[in-house]
Amino acid sequence: MSLTLNNVSKRFGGVVASDSVNITVPKGKITGLIGPNGAGKTTIVNMITGMLAVSDGQITVGDRDITHSFADEICRAGLARTFQNIRILPDNSVLENILIGFHRHEECSTLAAMLGLPAARRESGKIREMAIAMLRRFGMSALADFPAGGLSYGHQRKLEMMRALASEPEFMLLDEPVAGMNDVESDSLAELFRELASTGMGVLLIEHNIRFVSKLCEHVYVLDGGRLIAEGAPGVVLRDPEVMAAYIGGEHA
Amino acid sequence: MTNVLLGYQPLFDLFLLHLGMAYSQWLVLRAGVFSLATVGLAAVGAYTGGILVVTLGFPAPVALLAAALAGGIVALGLSVPLARLRGVYQAIATVAFIQIVLSLNIYAAGLTGGPQGLNGIPKTVGTLTLLIAGILTVYLMYAIMSSRLGRAFDAIRQNEAVAASLGVSIVRHQTLAFVISGALAGTYGALEAFHSYALAPSQFAFPFLIAVLSYVVLGGRNTIIGPIIGTAILLILPEIARPLAEARMLVYGLLLILVINYLPRGIADTLIERARARRLSARLAKSDTAPTTAARS
Ligand SMILES: Nc1ncnc2c1ncn2[C@@H]1O[C@H](COP(=O)(O)OP(=O)(O)OP(=O)(O)O)[C@@H](O)[C@H]1O
Ligand SMILES: [Mg+2]
Repeated sequence: MSLTLNNVSKRFGGVVASDSVNITVPKGKITGLIGPNGAGKTTIVNMITGMLAVSDGQITVGDRDITHSFADEICRAGLARTFQNIRILPDNSVLENILIGFHRHEECSTLAAMLGLPAARRESGKIREMAIAMLRRFGMSALADFPAGGLSYGHQRKLEMMRALASEPEFMLLDEPVAGMNDVESDSLAELFRELASTGMGVLLIEHNIRFVSKLCEHVYVLDGGRLIAEGAPGVVLRDPEVMAAYIGGEHA
Repeated sequence: MTNVLLGYQPLFDLFLLHLGMAYSQWLVLRAGVFSLATVGLAAVGAYTGGILVVTLGFPAPVALLAAALAGGIVALGLSVPLARLRGVYQAIATVAFIQIVLSLNIYAAGLTGGPQGLNGIPKTVGTLTLLIAGILTVYLMYAIMSSRLGRAFDAIRQNEAVAASLGVSIVRHQTLAFVISGALAGTYGALEAFHSYALAPSQFAFPFLIAVLSYVVLGGRNTIIGPIIGTAILLILPEIARPLAEARMLVYGLLLILVINYLPRGIADTLIERARARRLSARLAKSDTAPTTAARS
């Protein structure tokens, strides 16, 4: 089973942000998606997760077509994401930010939830334990009760990741997950991503840091101006003249 | 002593009635629906209850149930157009709804008594009934907010894209919040009808809308205790300072402006937030010193 984009396009009026893109994200591997600023990487993630309407083409998970599904249905189909521009819930505590991630797996009836019946209370207790375990795994237990809005940048990124992981996705889409982190922090996250892939999760990693991507991915896709200009093993792709031109052009733009 | 307390009983009844309305308003705001329909839905409940009892001779408990149902069903209908709107447009649409209810009340004079209102409602609701209703309402709010529903409401209010990306259906949850809010408004509308002998259409108009909104904004939108504090302060204040009672709406307006400027989260929310921050920084200080002392020893 894999996540597949088949000739997917996105047009914003005259701007073609995505031009017949074909991408396959297999399970159990980390797939890279790179490209200069404005290449259309975030647009791809937004289309996959139902936050932008797809203009053309088809997106499937296994044999399920999710091209025109709503964002919440796509989550329930087993996809989770993090956001490039961090979006935590600032009024809530760190722990509460993770609790909402478990929503997909909460199944007590609406009536039980409304009336606070034992079934609902048991379920709330259970996910609380799971959220605490998640915080421990990320070394952030001490911050559980702090307001999420006051966390440092790196901690907020990690919190978003925990929240996405709480939904136990089969595919995880990471939009620049280590942007703004130092080497120690990003190395420890690299270790985590490997671990996720080794448990069978399919990971799509968007990243500007080419070294970081080459270290983690067997297969990378390169976007430029909404078009895929290369794909393959990082070592090969990064020596591609068109890729080098795009990056140099991109950096000067 | 008892006499003094008895003197305050009408005020306490009023507090409990308005508290229920405040929770109806509080719940929708908590779920990110900027609806002001509570007053209109309360009118639906009040008149449903009143007409069933006075004109059709139903027993009050049955009429109360019907009023809750009516409030919920009208809210369900209203949620369809509302789901397509956001923010201030929802507020405008729901104020228009209140206006429609008000006009219908006056036009349908044969049924509602028109501008003269509905009279001769037997008084079947006293302090005890209201107190029980109040306790049940607070429990219901607490249960909802500590469940998956409350977590979903909180997420939707803060960021719809995040909520949806985590599998939360925005339409389903906001509709549910609105229907519960409508049933609550309907219930308290009927309780008001059964508590006060008579109903007039003007009761459920703009001043009441402002009052209910003020209770929530002044008290706090994100804690269960918020509406209790807001309603208590705004009802008791004019009683303590008698001359102010004449200028109730003026006082509400001024207080709101002050609170929005200096305590934008409302009194209860701000105080709870500050207490929490103090507790956390104390804990942080302790965990900071602990390793140093350990290292020294
Ligand atoms: N909602 C929108 N409306 C109009 N144009 C948009 C919209 N979103 C993105 N675009 C355009 O689509 C193109 C691709 O943007 P996108 O954000 O996907 O790039 P990116 O590869 O993620 O860039 P970055 O590395 O800076 O994050 C850009 O030209 C951008 O201006
Ligand atoms: Mg981007």
